[in-house]
Amino acid sequence: MTLSSRRPGSRVPTRVPAEVQAETGSNGQRNSVVLGPKDRLVGQLYIEGDLRVSGTVDGALEATGDIEIAGGGKVNGAVTAYNRLVVGSDASLIGGEVRVARLTVEDGATFTGNVSMGKHKAPVVAEPQPAMELQPEPVAEAQPEPVVEAQPEPVAEAQPEPVSPRQGWGGGAKRKRGR
Amino acid sequence: MEVQEAVAEGSASVDNGEIKRDGRKQFSMGPQDILEGRLIYDGSVHADGRVEGEVRVTGNIDVANGSTVKALLEGANVTLKGNVEGAVTARDKLTLGRNARLSGDIQVRRLQIDDGATLNGHVRMGDFEQQASGQ
Repeated sequence: MTLSSRRPGSRVPTRVPAEVQAETGSNGQRNSVVLGPKDRLVGQLYIEGDLRVSGTVDGALEATGDIEIAGGGKVNGAVTAYNRLVVGSDASLIGGEVRVARLTVEDGATFTGNVSMGKHKAPVVAEPQPAMELQPEPVAEAQPEPVVEAQPEPVAEAQPEPVSPRQGWGGGAKRKRGR
Repeated sequence: MEVQEAVAEGSASVDNGEIKRDGRKQFSMGPQDILEGRLIYDGSVHADGRVEGEVRVTGNIDVANGSTVKALLEGANVTLKGNVEGAVTARDKLTLGRNARLSGDIQVRRLQIDDGATLNGHVRMGDFEQQASGQ
């Protein structure tokens, strides 16, 4: 609470660019992040909302809304947009895994990467994992069951016979310990 | 042999299968036409109907809306408006129209993808003269 009350105060003199205020304001619920021409990001970024890049990004971008690489924006890395990706005419997207629902590449853009299109849900990466786990499970369950059923019967018959010799050995061990 | 068969099939079903525009040859297909095999053509191709195999041209390739293409396509300017499955090489520019669906790796110098188009594959931009001439 103390931190959150300080942040607005510190923001007042720096003044957030008008673009950010306008886009968040007009969209209301939808969050929007803008990286300007002089901005640079190295690393990963996940945005619940839209992202507009006019600067340079080295790393992975993921947004639940639209991603627009505009102006002279340059992105080197993977891009995942749950809705739409726009690569502007002077923009560049290089060497990434591109997963989007809708894609627009304007003439003049530089675009290299592996594109897969279709509707994306939040657990995009998680989807293949449960599929791998589900397949082995029924196989694993089917195999042990007959084995377990077969084993108890012979074991039950075999146990009574060696009981007396075991007791005899056990008795001998006790006597040795006693001495 | 394959080339000749392909041309014969295309031109047989369309009266003006081969026409000249601006002094350059154009191989034009209609929506009911079928091309199967390998076509290497000194000119431009308007692909429609169904195409399967390989199409390499010195001019442009234009794949019509509603057509089904399962082929390797290579041309100067390639414009796709239909369904295409296969690798596409555009020595100059590849354009995916709003109704285009492309599954395949593409190699282009310039690329334009209109909103509504679907693309699944690897995109490579830049010079590719060595690979194109090697094949």
